[in-house]
Amino acid sequence: MTRKELLLQRSAWMNEPNSPVVISSRVRLARNLEDFPFPHLISSEGAAQVEQTVSQVLSTGIEPLEYISLTELNNIEHQVLIEKHLISPSLGGSTGARGVALAPDHRYSVMVNEEDHLRIQVLLPGNQLQETYRLATELDDRLEAKLDFAYREGHGYLTACPTNVGTGLRASVMVHLPGLVITKQVQQVLGAVTRLGLAVRGLYGEGSQAFGHMFQVSNQITLGKSEEDILSHLDAVTRQIVEHELQARELLRKQMPMLLEDKVWRARGTLQNARLLSSEDSMHLLSHDRLGTDMGLLPKIKDCFATLIIDTRPGCLQYFLDRELDPSQRDEERARLIRERTAL
Amino acid sequence: MLCQHCQQREAVMRLSIIENEQTREVYLCESCAKKNQEVNFVFHPAIVPEFLQALFGFNSKSIEQPSEKTCPKCGISFTQITQAGKLGCSNCYETFESQLEPLLRRVHGGGQNVGKIPARSGVAIKNRLELRTLKETLQTLIQQEAFEEAAVVRDQIHQIEQVKGGEANDS
Repeated sequence: MTRKELLLQRSAWMNEPNSPVVISSRVRLARNLEDFPFPHLISSEGAAQVEQTVSQVLSTGIEPLEYISLTELNNIEHQVLIEKHLISPSLGGSTGARGVALAPDHRYSVMVNEEDHLRIQVLLPGNQLQETYRLATELDDRLEAKLDFAYREGHGYLTACPTNVGTGLRASVMVHLPGLVITKQVQQVLGAVTRLGLAVRGLYGEGSQAFGHMFQVSNQITLGKSEEDILSHLDAVTRQIVEHELQARELLRKQMPMLLEDKVWRARGTLQNARLLSSEDSMHLLSHDRLGTDMGLLPKIKDCFATLIIDTRPGCLQYFLDRELDPSQRDEERARLIRERTAL
Repeated sequence: MLCQHCQQREAVMRLSIIENEQTREVYLCESCAKKNQEVNFVFHPAIVPEFLQALFGFNSKSIEQPSEKTCPKCGISFTQITQAGKLGCSNCYETFESQLEPLLRRVHGGGQNVGKIPARSGVAIKNRLELRTLKETLQTLIQQEAFEEAAVVRDQIHQIEQVKGGEANDS
């Protein structure tokens, strides 16, 4: 597989989820090598040494990952990795020896020299937190067999930022909540979630907007709780969010059926016919389209929601078309791609 | 930072609002954030850098003292840690243990790690914890006069202790 093919590959998490509300599940484990300072303090030689040691271990063994050094990629390629959630915006924007190791279907992505030496990530479609953690901890064991991770009995896995120390585990689900947004209940529900020790963010993590009615819910506490406890708490809260979202959708169906039908058909009509679509517009319309499809009000389109959302983001769009586009050209190409993919 | 709306309470979240494709950010207290009816919002938990600095007790007047203790492994001081919002290396957790303790309690609510133990390097820790649990179980079984089960547990304890003894001899 060439680098271009690997980057263009549809990520596993973008496949049709097993849930009408939970788009994807993600687990991230923060790990550091015992013998090196944390990345923000490391020398450039040290960073190169970490990169070499880690990438070698990652790209060998039973399920080798493809290591990509970010210094070899251009800005659009960085953007593609960020848009597909395979690296963080801060890794893309930093300098020095750093990179990411990817599985062919992107279910594993391991960032090297981000805030910590290793950020092991597993992303799967739908609500699969337990399975996601199982894969992450297996990969962690394989790496630990060859690398000395910084670990102490009382503090657990040691991380650059004390908010990650202990398990080093950040588990999150991406949820699609158009029902709660339209019925103006989203703040109430997600506000309650934040009081349960969980954090809520937009589609692209810290500082990002809740584009396309998508929200990420994740654990905050990493020390003093076991991985099982963290996952089962998040899972229980996620089930509650799903329940509220489904109730909100039924409320819409009962109390304003025409408004709902109009909203989703209007979205489908625009997606199938528009000649210019901005990134924000398309996310909003795709969100309504998915709501209509999920509620049985619209016939299914051939492509799935997450794939369309991600493939039409600026970086992915330009990379797919293999040329740089200014914003207005992007809007035109985005509309063209969506017209093709939403055709019945 | 004070809430930009009521100017009275401490701001606890940053609200990002999109208007005409422009994003503006407002820092709000919990009460004003609840009243805000905007749909596009993001809760920012207290882990953005400025909050993190506050968590460490950093303020812009903190000046590093020449005599301040530094980490023998990476050379960082606690003032530098508070500025960066990050520790320098794994050894910093021991060097600055007393200063970190209240911070970890604020972030995680206190407590020791009860999560995963590394499979290879954590064998000794794992055995120690397993022994502790087995010994507690043994005591309970003896009190309950469940001697058959107690014998099984006792054998398990012996087995682990023998392996440990063997390892000690090897080294």
